[in-house]
Amino acid sequence: MTPAVQISKLDKRYPDVTALDGIALEIQPGDFYGLLGPNGAGKTTTINILTGLCNKTAGDVAIFGHDIVDDYRDCRRLVGLVPQEFNFDVFVRLRHMLVFQGGFFGLSRSICEARADELLAEFDLTDKADTQLRNLSGGMKRRAIITRALMHRPKILILDEPTAGVDVDLRRSLWQYLRRLNAEGTTILLTTHYIEEAEALCDRIAIINEGCIVAVDTTRNLVARLTTEAVHITLAVPSTNGMLENFDDLQVEATAGSNEFTVTFDRRQTSYHSILERLIATGVRIDNIRPAGNQLEQVFVSLTKQ
Amino acid sequence: MSSSDEHIYAPKLRRGNFVGFKTLVMRECHRFLRVWNQTLVPPLITTVLYILIFGYSLGSRITEVQNVSYMEFLVPGLVMMSVIGGAYQNTSSSLYIARFHGNIQELLVSSMSSFEIVLGIILGGVARGICTGVIVSIVAVVMAGVQILHLPTALFFIVVVSLAFASFGFLSGLWAEDFDRLSLFQTYVLTPLTYLGGVFFSVGMLPVIWQKIAMANPILYFVNGLRYAFLGISDISLPVAIVTVLFAAIVPFIACCVLFHRGYHIKT
Ligand SMILES: Nc1ncnc2c1ncn2[C@@H]1O[C@H](COP(=O)(O)OP(=O)(O)OP(=O)(O)O)[C@@H](O)[C@H]1O
Ligand SMILES: [Mg+2]
Repeated sequence: MTPAVQISKLDKRYPDVTALDGIALEIQPGDFYGLLGPNGAGKTTTINILTGLCNKTAGDVAIFGHDIVDDYRDCRRLVGLVPQEFNFDVFVRLRHMLVFQGGFFGLSRSICEARADELLAEFDLTDKADTQLRNLSGGMKRRAIITRALMHRPKILILDEPTAGVDVDLRRSLWQYLRRLNAEGTTILLTTHYIEEAEALCDRIAIINEGCIVAVDTTRNLVARLTTEAVHITLAVPSTNGMLENFDDLQVEATAGSNEFTVTFDRRQTSYHSILERLIATGVRIDNIRPAGNQLEQVFVSLTKQ
Repeated sequence: MSSSDEHIYAPKLRRGNFVGFKTLVMRECHRFLRVWNQTLVPPLITTVLYILIFGYSLGSRITEVQNVSYMEFLVPGLVMMSVIGGAYQNTSSSLYIARFHGNIQELLVSSMSSFEIVLGIILGGVARGICTGVIVSIVAVVMAGVQILHLPTALFFIVVVSLAFASFGFLSGLWAEDFDRLSLFQTYVLTPLTYLGGVFFSVGMLPVIWQKIAMANPILYFVNGLRYAFLGISDISLPVAIVTVLFAAIVPFIACCVLFHRGYHIKT
């Protein structure tokens, strides 16, 4: 099967920065793919090259088998882009913007109008159809920019941090929408800073750091790569130093006289079970015990920290 | 790549994206028609003022120029000035603002070719040049009592000059990095060339050395071409004026296409 996106040896050099340094990436049709990386890692640059907003320095990029330079028009019709930053003509009315955008993709006026109304209803924007974009709230602009990308029903939807600055309700409903879209066959490429979001949505994840891909795997495998585990333990009464000596061989973080501490251990050498056994053996009363931090987040941090 | 493509709306394009192109031209026209009081009325006011001041009041004290009254002499130049201004401002501001807000990306990610995008934006400027030219012509013709001798030639000059200055406007909209620079070209090049372009005088009225310098100003050729179409008089022979204006339209238009396709100032 032709990959939805195939990137090989992709370089992007600005006069004083190398934004991408030999990136390779393959996204299969139907994937829900996450591109994760710290600020300035090169996510937006990668996406802009895919969508024709940025000229690559070297390398090959194809979308469903079409070269992004030689067959750029075939590529564009297959791709919908939700950019990181709002790029509206702020004086245009929302529904007009959608109808124009459909037109730019070659859709007839009647299809555009029907599709615009369908999307406005879907995203709860019907009563804002005739509002100028500058008069929408941040969350409404987010929804507007997503509807614009969907006008021509792209085969692959690329979203650059679509949930930045979005409230919890909207985030959940966007997740739901994206999952459904993906289930119906749309390939999705998503960048996000919310690890929880990537974990909840993506089947596969690539981690990018300083212009290089440092890991590509299924979300499940990435989480399984984590061999260090950490647990937060809260005691019913403050601990004594004597008790902590029991954990001398492990890495323990605690503040004196506090009833909370964190134990970090290597899963290959120590088991949860033995930690618990040793805790109970000290005779303390445990109030609460929970894993510290998000697991994917820890993989992410370990892969991207210098 | 066949049945799985079916849920996509956007048609696969064999020839060009004509619907996209048409949509863009319509959007560009919509842009200036919506604010007609900012785009179409100002050149009309300027023209009426010029006719009142230079035509009605001062004009009577100026002897005939090439056998026509000064008022009549003035009209084609005034029309040309408003055509140039209208075409230039439409593309320069449309493109600059689209770059500034980032909504130029709406076009870049669409399935339009760069040629269709450039031509679409420029035709918006041409439409504004023509609209302005026609409105100003009607008013000037009525106020000054002029008859247009060669209507097709007049339309030819209005259309091709619009194309030339819509292309120049496009280039400056691409080039300008900030709002101040957008007006630089207009202040330092366009306005002086227009005022020195034979709108208010015949080259023969200038000292010999200035006559030579004035001949290097392309706007002189456009104004005289239109003056020939209106009144049958000109400082420049018609074929020379036609060749000049075609050249002035085609060269910057090609430059627009090449620069835009390469992504000059629009792609990083
Ligand atoms: N137009 C530009 N000119 C010069 N350097 C640029 C330009 N655009 C991006 N860069 C540089 O390229 C690198 C990658 O930027 P990019 O926008 O791709 O990061 P990102 O991963 O999207 O970050 P973020 O999470 O903050 O959005 C950065 O070092 C950035 O400064
Ligand atoms: Mg980014």
